[in-house]
Amino acid sequence: MNESFKRGAREGFRLMLPMSVGLLPWAIVTGVAMRSTGLSAAESIGMNLIVYAGTAQLGTLPLIAAGAPLWLIFVTALVLNLRFVIFSAALAPAFHGASWSRRLLSGYLLVDGLFVLCADRLLRNDDPHWRWGFYVAPAMLCWSMWQLGGLAGVLGAEIFPKDWSLEFMTTIALMVMLVPMVKQRAMLVAALVGGLGAVLLRGLPLRLGVIAGIAVGIAAGFAAEHWAERRRRTW
Amino acid sequence: MVEGVWLWLTLLAIGSTTILTRGSFVISGEGARLPPALQRALRYAPAAALSALIMPDLLLDAGAFDPANPKLAAGVVVALAAVRSRNPWLPFIGGMCVLLVLRKGFGW
Repeated sequence: MNESFKRGAREGFRLMLPMSVGLLPWAIVTGVAMRSTGLSAAESIGMNLIVYAGTAQLGTLPLIAAGAPLWLIFVTALVLNLRFVIFSAALAPAFHGASWSRRLLSGYLLVDGLFVLCADRLLRNDDPHWRWGFYVAPAMLCWSMWQLGGLAGVLGAEIFPKDWSLEFMTTIALMVMLVPMVKQRAMLVAALVGGLGAVLLRGLPLRLGVIAGIAVGIAAGFAAEHWAERRRRTW
Repeated sequence: MVEGVWLWLTLLAIGSTTILTRGSFVISGEGARLPPALQRALRYAPAAALSALIMPDLLLDAGAFDPANPKLAAGVVVALAAVRSRNPWLPFIGGMCVLLVLRKGFGW
């Protein structure tokens, strides 16, 4: 194995370790949620392997429970996953020249935390071996944590009391990811506007309010950055 | 409830959105470079997206705007724990404790 691949893998693994531990509760919660929706243990494990996207999994469970038509479940999952198109576009230059199977695997493994932690350094490094190591090692770490935590939740679903509001762990996990990002002011503006936008636009059909909120938040962050730059220049 | 073969088909359909969205530009590769201004704007996507998933859960109660609800109180504790402490479990323990005490202890 290539030296710079190993170096990238080690650095990526170490960078991801604390956050990947934070995935465990979230994965456990999702496992419990699948079982309490009525999926069998095998179906729940299957969902974790096939979908591997917490938001889409948690978001489609009520529709599966209600027996909604396939197309509606598909569209809802697509909408909930749409933010990944943005991550995918931003990361694409880092996979310049990689093989098709490697890019397919990379796509499947591209979770939020991976993008948040690794995107910047991936895009700034010129060595494709280092980049592959720095991507695939933390990606597999996240995948393993998700599958292990999910398995624990699926198998242990019965021991958790049903009225403990455990679904709130999902929101806590998302907050733990968000907090370190908003130390920069333009990023804080993007988050505040995106969040409040999603609240105000919640009436839009097919949960499109989340997508609309994200779009407004990005625009606000971009505007805040421009405004801060202009002020710096005039002073 | 969607069951049997239909459930597996449904899971495959949901899974296909994972590949379609995450793979979109990564798989199509270099032909899909976005203009630099757009790339810069997209740096704000993760923060906006996470917040767009978090805030509705903290501020809405049964679909209606309600800032005085136990989840928002728990959310404030989670944020403080995440800012002040390096312990990855503290936000989970603190947030769940506050929510459970408020809901079960005080019936809020």
